[in-house]
Amino acid sequence: MTEPIVKLENVKKYFPIRGGVFSRVVGNIKAVDDISFSIQKGETLGLVGESGCGKSTLGRTILKLLDPTAGKVFYKDFDIFATQKEELRNLRREMQIIFQDPYSSLNPRLNVGEIVGECLEIHGIAYGREKQEKVESMLEVCGLAPHHRRRYPHEFSGGQRQRIGIARALTLNPDFIVADEPISSLDVSIQAQIVNLMEELQEKFGLTYLFISHDLSMVRHISDHVAVMYLGKIVEISGKKELYQNPLHPYTQALLSAVPVMDPDHKSKRIILRGDVPSPANPPQGCNFNPRCIYAEEHCRVEEPELRDVGSGHQVSCHLVEKM
Amino acid sequence: MPDLLEVKNLYTSFHTEDGVVPAVNGITFNLKHGESLGIVGESGCGKSVACLSIMRLIDHPGKIKADAIKLDGVELQSLSEKKMRTIRGNEMAFIFQEPMTSLNPVYTIGFQLQEAIQLHQGLNKKQSRTKSEEMLKMVGIPRAEKVFDEYPHSLSGGMRQRAMIAMALSCEPKILFADEPTTALDVTIQAQILELMNDLKQRINTSIIFISHDLGVISEMVDRVIVMYCGSIIEDADIRTIIKNPKHPYTFGLINSKPRIDVDLDKLIPIPGSVPNPLNIPSGCPYQPRCESAMDICKSKMPGKSQINEGHHVSCWLFSKQEGKIKS
Repeated sequence: MTEPIVKLENVKKYFPIRGGVFSRVVGNIKAVDDISFSIQKGETLGLVGESGCGKSTLGRTILKLLDPTAGKVFYKDFDIFATQKEELRNLRREMQIIFQDPYSSLNPRLNVGEIVGECLEIHGIAYGREKQEKVESMLEVCGLAPHHRRRYPHEFSGGQRQRIGIARALTLNPDFIVADEPISSLDVSIQAQIVNLMEELQEKFGLTYLFISHDLSMVRHISDHVAVMYLGKIVEISGKKELYQNPLHPYTQALLSAVPVMDPDHKSKRIILRGDVPSPANPPQGCNFNPRCIYAEEHCRVEEPELRDVGSGHQVSCHLVEKM
Repeated sequence: MPDLLEVKNLYTSFHTEDGVVPAVNGITFNLKHGESLGIVGESGCGKSVACLSIMRLIDHPGKIKADAIKLDGVELQSLSEKKMRTIRGNEMAFIFQEPMTSLNPVYTIGFQLQEAIQLHQGLNKKQSRTKSEEMLKMVGIPRAEKVFDEYPHSLSGGMRQRAMIAMALSCEPKILFADEPTTALDVTIQAQILELMNDLKQRINTSIIFISHDLGVISEMVDRVIVMYCGSIIEDADIRTIIKNPKHPYTFGLINSKPRIDVDLDKLIPIPGSVPNPLNIPSGCPYQPRCESAMDICKSKMPGKSQINEGHHVSCWLFSKQEGKIKS
């Protein structure tokens, strides 16, 4: 067992809702509500959930791209939320992010060499000729050609742009990468290319990924561990195999059964959830999931369940887990 | 009895400043009564444009040309715009991908539903309101009487898509075009909508043309599939054959590049390269630059349609009899 590279302790991120004449805080959107888990070095943790569940907010909060409301994140031995300016900037070398939309996350007025090489100058690692060489070799690693350095983002297709985004994240030789839906805006035939590239790079550089996605099949493919989020909370976290073969939380079960299977002979018992995801500004009493849960009992509406270990690292937050 | 819809050699092109974009490049297919047909392909392959062309919803600078577009034996191309308007929404209806942008934000849900019902069925205000509310209930919208007077922004994505489906089905169309109706939705909501559509399909005997890039969704919804690439149909067969025994290298690639929720795969097999620029489609077979089994002839000549089995056709030189002759 390796040591955790990233460790979250009760991380919270609330967005205040202001109202009234004095724009006082009248409520909070609890986008990330009390989340703790850790990611082992060299593995991929898949983070799944529906839109609005807070998975992207969590990814950004971990990197302190958003200021946390409470909690702690440890990267190796550093408490990220406590570090400031210079120290934080040095830490950022080791932690990078790949964004969802390769169309809006690359500056259209910079050429690829500038986009990928900018961070080398900012961190004072390489300038001029040396920077250029580093950029070229990184482009090659990511499946682009060295001469692409002089081109601008609009000259590339979506898949190529995502490769540029990956090259930019990797230039500083980071250890930990948050990949925020890196494939969801790409065409089906291109998604596999990018995922294969990410897997190759992981092997080559010993990267650790937090892979955020709503594509449950892709998460099954790439992850070692999987965490399922619902309304700002982790409802289940476990090893990949265990989670997909033996999901214990009713939400995970419904989520997995809802994925269409590419097999005309497949006869599944689909669990159709009623209703929509409630507003995070006004989450239900007790267990967040109780209004949509088919098994909900009286005390699910009153008491909030905690994440409990049910054996071999499989954690579930459900009162009824023993009955499942 | 003739087929419900017959499309023969449909070409749609957009005459832009940069050149002519051949979005749909001579496609031929038909749809039987009560059948559901899937059209699969990546973005830009012309699947939506093909359906919009059938309904004549292509605007300038687009041009539609076809040997035949027949609905129940009636040639649609010869109809006047006025006549065409009585068909749209009444005999053929469309569900769009983005329920957020395809509903008018300044009118209530009820107004938008009533509009079509009053126009096509000649009901008065009161009757059409009752009918609209019935439709909203049928698609599973709770408190339909209230939702009738609400605006689209107050509904969630799934509810909006339900309202769109209610609108499309309100005049009991013969053909329902569903253009990626669940792509903008979450999986659990997608499951709700797909179940609803399957349920409605059985209740109202409507033929469905279901457009999607997701073979998983398609395989749950349709009987027969057309695979499109760069404006051409490259393979068509029943859904089981397409999934279990695909012939065209592109169909093969589409299936193999997708991870499965039910099986662990060691490595995904991606399709190399990317979809060509529509202004500059490669000569011969459009898939040839990305195809691993490409031969010399693929670069110079577009393959014709060859029959593999009854109801299974492929456009690929690998399966062409003509190619066999050339070889031997």
